[in-house]
Amino acid sequence: MTLAVNIAQGASNNVTFRNRIINGGMVIDQRNAGASVTANNVYSLDRWLAISDTSNKWTVQQNAGSVTPPTGFTNYLGCTSLSAYTPISTDYFGPNQRIEGYNVADLNWGSSSASPITLSFWVRSSLTGSFGGSIQNSSQNRSYAFPYTISSANTWEYKTITIAGDTSGTWLTTNGIGFVVHFSLGAGSSRVGTASTWTGTSNVFAPTGSVNVVGTNGATFYITGVQLEAGTTASPFEYRQYGAELYLCQRYYTSLPSQGSFFGAHAFSTNRVISSAFYPATMRATPTVTSASNAYTYFINGAAYTSSASGTTANLYGNLIIDITVTATSGSNGVISLNSTISLSAEL
Amino acid sequence: MYKLCKTLTNQEFVIRLSDNASIPFDPDNTDYQAYLRWLEEGNTPEPAEENQ
Repeated sequence: MTLAVNIAQGASNNVTFRNRIINGGMVIDQRNAGASVTANNVYSLDRWLAISDTSNKWTVQQNAGSVTPPTGFTNYLGCTSLSAYTPISTDYFGPNQRIEGYNVADLNWGSSSASPITLSFWVRSSLTGSFGGSIQNSSQNRSYAFPYTISSANTWEYKTITIAGDTSGTWLTTNGIGFVVHFSLGAGSSRVGTASTWTGTSNVFAPTGSVNVVGTNGATFYITGVQLEAGTTASPFEYRQYGAELYLCQRYYTSLPSQGSFFGAHAFSTNRVISSAFYPATMRATPTVTSASNAYTYFINGAAYTSSASGTTANLYGNLIIDITVTATSGSNGVISLNSTISLSAEL
Repeated sequence: MYKLCKTLTNQEFVIRLSDNASIPFDPDNTDYQAYLRWLEEGNTPEPAEENQ
């Protein structure tokens, strides 16, 4: 029996983890659990940032409109225009993913040995015509505006786009932004550029003449199966196990649920109680921790005290340091429970 | 608006008052980068309280 093994390393189309996009199948939605959000520069589905240079022009939702996804997929990212808006010159709209530099370092962009990439995805819109997006570096001073055509309204279409590696510019290769992959829902006159060529013009988000989805009230744009891989050929979408995909997402965002969590705690003074918890993944950077001021209850000798403020922080090593202001007896020991979700973000 | 804070071991961080987020002084954290831009615009955070 012969066993074929792909042993190629680096900028190649590896059998596993060839897709540099995280959550390209739009399965993970830790923040919103499928709820619709207005796309005012917020993360929607995990790893997908919903950009609106002018507020309140579109919404984003996992499986918006409840259409049947392409065969083999169960989820998609759904965008819906909220008005018939004509972008001003500096506007740009759309979902994008900021890929960490570590995950594209092998492509050698910014050097003479830059590798080509191929972007593939399934897309469906209520509009037809020439759509577009862009690949940018972290400084947004290297851009490639890619076009694609949607031929039939309200029909899933599969697209592949091969892009020559950029031999110029600075492309980060550590824990900063490596690439930005942007799908345009609209862009103003100073945010578009020549299609299918690298440019040093700043902030190019789409080819000139692309469809403005935000220009039609109620227009829809759905996308899934997004894959960015090395090479000039699009391979089948790389399905990762749910747990693996979730873990990849948790490098950038995670949360502790409000129900069922108790942590041992100690009162360092009459109003300050400290506890500790662990979160699941090593994050990209020291995370921002968000929790409500009354997110914690301190239990001591059977009595419950709700926090009035929190300065909960986290370190890089999976450790959350719960630090709350609450009535307590100095030196007491008790337990803390969570009244609401604590979120940790180290997004790019 | 932001407020300076200190952990029990006197490590500095800031609270973003709009959503009570604790932002570490980590140059790789994008919220901290936004805080630095806010400072560059001439703004000043509320002072930290002394540890108790």
